[in-house]
Amino acid sequence: MRTPGVLGVMLPAVRDGAALNQALDLGYRQVLIERGSLLAMVGPLAAAARQGIAIFVNLDAVEGLAPDSAALAFLATDLGFSGVLSVKPQLLRDASRFRLRTVQRIHALDSTGLQTGLNSIVSPSPYAIAIAPAVAIPQVMPTIRATTSTPIWGTGFITSADQANEVLAAGADVVSSGRIEVWREFSRVPVRG
Amino acid sequence: MVAIATRTIVPPARLRSVDGSVGRLLEAFGRVPVAAVIRRGEELPRALASHVPAVFFLRAPAFHLGPLVWAVQARGKMAFVHIDLIAGLGKDRAGVAFLAREIGVNGIITSHSGLVAAARAERVISVQRLLLYDDLGLPSALSALDHARPDIVEVLPGVIFPLVVDQIRARLSLPMIVGGFVREPAQREGALHRGALAISTSTAELWP
Repeated sequence: MRTPGVLGVMLPAVRDGAALNQALDLGYRQVLIERGSLLAMVGPLAAAARQGIAIFVNLDAVEGLAPDSAALAFLATDLGFSGVLSVKPQLLRDASRFRLRTVQRIHALDSTGLQTGLNSIVSPSPYAIAIAPAVAIPQVMPTIRATTSTPIWGTGFITSADQANEVLAAGADVVSSGRIEVWREFSRVPVRG
Repeated sequence: MVAIATRTIVPPARLRSVDGSVGRLLEAFGRVPVAAVIRRGEELPRALASHVPAVFFLRAPAFHLGPLVWAVQARGKMAFVHIDLIAGLGKDRAGVAFLAREIGVNGIITSHSGLVAAARAERVISVQRLLLYDDLGLPSALSALDHARPDIVEVLPGVIFPLVVDQIRARLSLPMIVGGFVREPAQREGALHRGALAISTSTAELWP
């Protein structure tokens, strides 16, 4: 059985069970656990995954998990999550052994850091590359596209639908936001892909 | 065979007392509010010839850093080294002490609160980076800065600054430098207009 991937352009970022429920109530079939303790919401997450919700976890920021194989096995096998995000290439390589989709995080904070991130892209290509903060995407997209044609996600500092649309217009495939107002705006957008 | 250039080996007299005074830096940024970010040695001559009062070394070679730093100081500018990105140097008190005592840097740049304390102990200026990749992480990043009390905060990337400046101000009264993808004059003016002390950029066209 293959877990679901991401469909559509909006990926709600949640940090607790309440936000998870809000996203699911709006009809989303996918969430990103961006922060908070994954272990504190493990029951609702496992239930959502069983119902076919695609769940992605930012392993660099979420609390309660070690960045190791035991944690990856737990996410893949026990919880049925769809994928993981990290800046660490080795962790992503391990994750693909557990049939988790791998999303490589790259920080777009300055040109040096961006280049370091782009140089570390794992092979074979990850499922997606997540650029943080997303609002930097309009500025850095040409540099990214000069290196890779992998789908681009934008995460971080998307606090309005206008910002999300700007990032998508700049060429991002998926955008993530932690704001319910933004989720509402995009919940009526037809899913493409 | 590689010579390790440190002050112990090559002691220029003028480096006996390195200026670690944040007051002088603030004053200099008041006149020319730009720091030149140097990623490769070949970018240095242009920065030396410019009017920037401070040079930030981003990927410096720790054990061959001395001549670069002294060249900056010989021009009456202040030299800062990003300790987190230096290959070969411990990101710890001993690493900060090496930069302060042997190289004689005016200050260090770091993302780590622990190194801010080490810089304070070594009497060099501390620039702590506020790395903004995640809005959900902003409150905890601000409390870490509030606790560490660096001399200056460097906010990255520049595009975020207008979105967060009020939130930062409400929490911190520290002077702010804006850096990261600041490539256009309009971005520089925008940051300064919003109350940034200075910008830091590797775009040589923005060095006055």
